[in-house]
Amino acid sequence: MQIKNGKDFWAGLMFMGFAAAFFIIARNYNMGTALRMGPSYFPSVLGGMLFFLGLATTVRSFFSKDEHSWRLFEFRPINFVAAVVIGAFAYWQAKWLQTNEWLQFAVVGASIVLFFSSFGQRSLWQLLAATLAFGYLLKPLGLIIATFLLVIGSGLISSESKMKEVVILAVALAIFAWLTFVVGLDQPFPVKPSFME
Amino acid sequence: MELLNNLLLGFQVALTLQNMWYCFIGVLLGTLIGVLPGIGPLATIAMLLPITFTLPPTASLIMLAGIYYGAQYGGSTTAILVNIPGESSAAVTVLDGYQMARRGRAGPALGIAALGSVFAGSFATLVIAVLAPPLSEVALKFGPAEYFSLMVVGLIGAVVLARGSVLKAIAMVCLGLLFGMIGTDVNSGVARFTLGIPELSDGMGFITLAMGIFGYCEIIINLEKGEAREVFTSRIGSLLPTWDDMKYAAPAIMRGTLIGSFLGILPGGGALLSSFAAYAIEKNVTGDKSREKFGEGNIRGVAAPESANNAGAQTSFIPMLTLGIPSNVIMAMMVGAMMIQGIAPGPQVMNERPQLFWGLIASMWVGNVMLVILNMPMIGLWVSLLKVPYRILYPCILVFCVIGVYSINNNAFDAILTALFGLFGYILVKVEAEPAPMLLGYILGPLMEENLRRAMLLARGDFFVFFQRPISATLLVISILLLVFVLLPNIRKKRDVAFEADD
Repeated sequence: MQIKNGKDFWAGLMFMGFAAAFFIIARNYNMGTALRMGPSYFPSVLGGMLFFLGLATTVRSFFSKDEHSWRLFEFRPINFVAAVVIGAFAYWQAKWLQTNEWLQFAVVGASIVLFFSSFGQRSLWQLLAATLAFGYLLKPLGLIIATFLLVIGSGLISSESKMKEVVILAVALAIFAWLTFVVGLDQPFPVKPSFME
Repeated sequence: MELLNNLLLGFQVALTLQNMWYCFIGVLLGTLIGVLPGIGPLATIAMLLPITFTLPPTASLIMLAGIYYGAQYGGSTTAILVNIPGESSAAVTVLDGYQMARRGRAGPALGIAALGSVFAGSFATLVIAVLAPPLSEVALKFGPAEYFSLMVVGLIGAVVLARGSVLKAIAMVCLGLLFGMIGTDVNSGVARFTLGIPELSDGMGFITLAMGIFGYCEIIINLEKGEAREVFTSRIGSLLPTWDDMKYAAPAIMRGTLIGSFLGILPGGGALLSSFAAYAIEKNVTGDKSREKFGEGNIRGVAAPESANNAGAQTSFIPMLTLGIPSNVIMAMMVGAMMIQGIAPGPQVMNERPQLFWGLIASMWVGNVMLVILNMPMIGLWVSLLKVPYRILYPCILVFCVIGVYSINNNAFDAILTALFGLFGYILVKVEAEPAPMLLGYILGPLMEENLRRAMLLARGDFFVFFQRPISATLLVISILLLVFVLLPNIRKKRDVAFEADD
């Protein structure tokens, strides 16, 4: 047997994975009857449907006339395994980690960034990591500095980026974000870093 | 007479200074993102949704609607001048539009696109005003069984619209419905599929989902591909088509408008489907033999799809406004926008909030007039925008995305979720599973479950109720026919390929 259509093969596996996860978790809830459906009824039916659709997709991939390699994008198993190990550790030791905010932040952050970095090109995880950083830095650093850092961090991802351009853009967008969201739209963002308050 | 009164009411609302301002912002943004490839109305509406929370409901809907139909205008500019669609619905405009530009007729191509669009837009607005009230009346009589079947039709329609494999599209619908189940169950109060994460007890939030899958994913893919863009820089010349051109294109505009208006209403329809259908039909209409062939710069090849996508964009509001069922992803976003404002979309909106309902419809007329002004005299501005390289553009998009996401709940969790969906969207693109049906499923999931439960309660647990009630049965038969229909051309296509191989 040979995988003819790698896209269908992985898509089917992904569907089956999601279906199994939803189906298994749904078993914790009350099924009910057709007359009085419990919280588990509809998701279980959907999960079952999705599983068979996924199975059909994967089976089809062995007979497909469209041929695609089963390697669809770059995948780094070492990063992936590391992410899962650290993530599992963070999950089991959640209580202990919660005693130190910075430790928890570092462990969870490392796990997520490693997870992102296992897929695709470098630009993918850099972009997503910049987003996460912004989410965590907005409160301590304020909107203006966080936006500035976001643009610097993400602006240099593209191979065609130029440092000078990015810095000018970062300054402009930081001011623009402040004017639009805080002055114009009255959003409750911290503007100044928390240590300056 | 009632129609006139209603429209009068609508214009009173739409022509207030505040609403005209938001309409202007909407169509301006729509044109902007329509012109710029790499960002579409979906991502834009997702970005702006959190902000609309602070606006009055009517103003926010007027603005978001303006983005959608405004993008149809902008998309044609890029299609004609750059040979790539600024908007997916302008994909067929590229074929003849760019050829016209290469033959020094960029001006008339842009002109006829704008004129066709404004005609189609005005006509479609009238269609909405005429069709919406009777449809709402019918919908008020719908029971839960009818609603459930209606949603089935809507979701199957989305599958028909999705490119590529039908099997995967149906699976994506199921996945979307399952994602919609995450959060607290309204009937029992059980927190479902939250994995113990308290932030998930209100559901995942469809802004994060849409932003990750459409906004982020697009940036990731574009960065991976690198930049390749060739702007047609020679003089555009006079925008006004000649009288001869107008006479030749007029029937195509009419046909495009009618096709678009019709296809927009159908479940799964909208701008995209309309423009493709209009172009396909136009190719088969025998015209003047002395004219350019299709694909070589025929002005009808620009006029028909551009009229159709505008008409389709607007009439796709009909199912959303009258039935509360979104027919495509953009309308799903509009449903989300209404829910943010505390309005349950459905047939009752027209009676309970006539100002909002008719104001939104009238604003489309206002918006179309603004768009002609924005697009005809100011075309030079948009063309110069096309020269902005992507390396400058994507940080700007990113800033709007992250600030928008953060402002929903003011916590970092939504940023993590959006990033995860960005990755998920990337994987979906790689395995060629269309994400649009998933988002539709996600929006309809809770509604579908609720109606299924009610229908079963009323029918004492008898599943055949869906086939016993005439409207419900008809709707289900339609969805089966739709599925058969979508499978047929695939079979034909495959056979065609086989025949070609024989030759």
